[in-house]
Amino acid sequence: MSETANAAQSPDTLHRLSKRDLLKLYIYSQAFVSGFNYEKQEAPGTVFSLIPVIEKVYDNEEEKVEAYRRHTELFLTEARLSHLILGITAAMEEEHALKHDIDPASIGAIKSALMGPFAGIGDSLYHGTLRPIMAGLAVSLITASGYTSPMGAILFVLVMAGVGQALRYLGIMYGYKQGVSLVAKIQSSGLLQKLTKYASIAACVVIGGFVSNLVAMNLALSYSAGETVVSLQETLDGMMPSMLPLALTLLCFWLIDKKKVNPVPLMFAVMIVGVLGSMAGILA
Amino acid sequence: MDSGLLVQSLVLTLVTWLMFFDKYCTQLFTYRPVVIGPIVGLIMGNFEIGLQVGCIVELMFLGQVFVGTALPPEETFSTIIATAFACIANSTEVALATALPLAVIAQMGMYFRNMVLCVWTGHRLEAAVERHDLKGITMNCLVLPNVFNLVLFALPVFLAVYFGADLVQGIINAIPQSIITGLAVGGNMIGAVGLSLLMKSINFSKMWYFFLIGFFFASYLGIGNIGITMLAVICVAAAFYADRDREEQAALS
Repeated sequence: MSETANAAQSPDTLHRLSKRDLLKLYIYSQAFVSGFNYEKQEAPGTVFSLIPVIEKVYDNEEEKVEAYRRHTELFLTEARLSHLILGITAAMEEEHALKHDIDPASIGAIKSALMGPFAGIGDSLYHGTLRPIMAGLAVSLITASGYTSPMGAILFVLVMAGVGQALRYLGIMYGYKQGVSLVAKIQSSGLLQKLTKYASIAACVVIGGFVSNLVAMNLALSYSAGETVVSLQETLDGMMPSMLPLALTLLCFWLIDKKKVNPVPLMFAVMIVGVLGSMAGILA
Repeated sequence: MDSGLLVQSLVLTLVTWLMFFDKYCTQLFTYRPVVIGPIVGLIMGNFEIGLQVGCIVELMFLGQVFVGTALPPEETFSTIIATAFACIANSTEVALATALPLAVIAQMGMYFRNMVLCVWTGHRLEAAVERHDLKGITMNCLVLPNVFNLVLFALPVFLAVYFGADLVQGIINAIPQSIITGLAVGGNMIGAVGLSLLMKSINFSKMWYFFLIGFFFASYLGIGNIGITMLAVICVAAAFYADRDREEQAALS
């Protein structure tokens, strides 16, 4: 289309991604999980997010369609860390468009290679560690204010939104800058395994605290020893406070992990045990 | 009273739609119970109940990590209706009784969205790619999925709150007090399921002693969640320096 008009400009400057294009990629990629489905997972979002990239780097229609087509393949990883892959993908598409020196099939291969590890670390760090910690803090702050101040909820959104959007923005910028070389770096450094380990440690400590602070289960039973009435719950608390919440959590963990019990019926079952136990005068 | 409820129901519908937009696009986490509760409380004119329900339902769904493509019970739709009902009836027990069943209903809606509707738009998107039709891609990735959210989740919120308010009040009056007390007992226990799901999502069997550190500090010493988070930072630092020493010694020898 523009071969004569822009003859003076080299294709390099015409089709190289600018900071502005990467910003567009960041804005388009807000819809990354919007079209999520069980067939191709996040592929619709990947195609949509890459519109600013593909439209810029390729010249003719045929190449553009071919580029979009290779991103309609199944893609599934954690939504925030996916943006690092989007940045690397943008760098690879640009490289392919300008020099034609990489096999386009390798673009898909790199994406597939990264999505597994990124899903693992993203899920455990962001959803398994940061979110429960922040939510637990938010609940504590709201409870401590006597249910008058929403500060806990505001703090929760600020941290979750701030970290999430920062990961998206920096992922695109850093991924584009480093390009394919980042893949080898990520795979060889063992960084992902280390991060996963530290996140798991933090999550374990916090979950342990949550069992005592956020789960409550008390016996309403008492027995009389001679003149005095002894509350069974006070006896248990004398040995180990929060003993029953610990036992209940470990039982649930065993049922879910070893007996493969579906968590949703288990939630209903716990609720029913609570209601029946309370009605029978066993639990309070 | 009814015109007030109409306006409230309409505002809730809009808020629901925006929260589902956030859930599937911007992901600022406004769609979590602890945030929804106070917002719905403000709209329904019962801020305190809103905050309470937000905390209660957040704890019920705290450990909402399901591995792979399995969907967890849908907390957003559930919290919005449960909080609205609780504000109308002026009792948090309503939320305890309705949150979990509503979450399961919304989970089915979510399965329908992801398994049928968005597979359909996914195919239309692939056809649009072949035509190099950018409008078609936008329509099928961004516009239609948000229309699905409107129809599947936002409009049912309107119907439930506007037409269900009287019904909920009637049902709550009919339920015996012993069951309402029991719901609070069960609601306090249900967090155990969520926490055990979180334990499953991490490498628990090799790190159970860290779990016990957190538990004993909270149970015997009565340290709250903020203090426990500090403790977690210390444990991570200890592990980090131990790893670094080990690596340095391995490099020396």
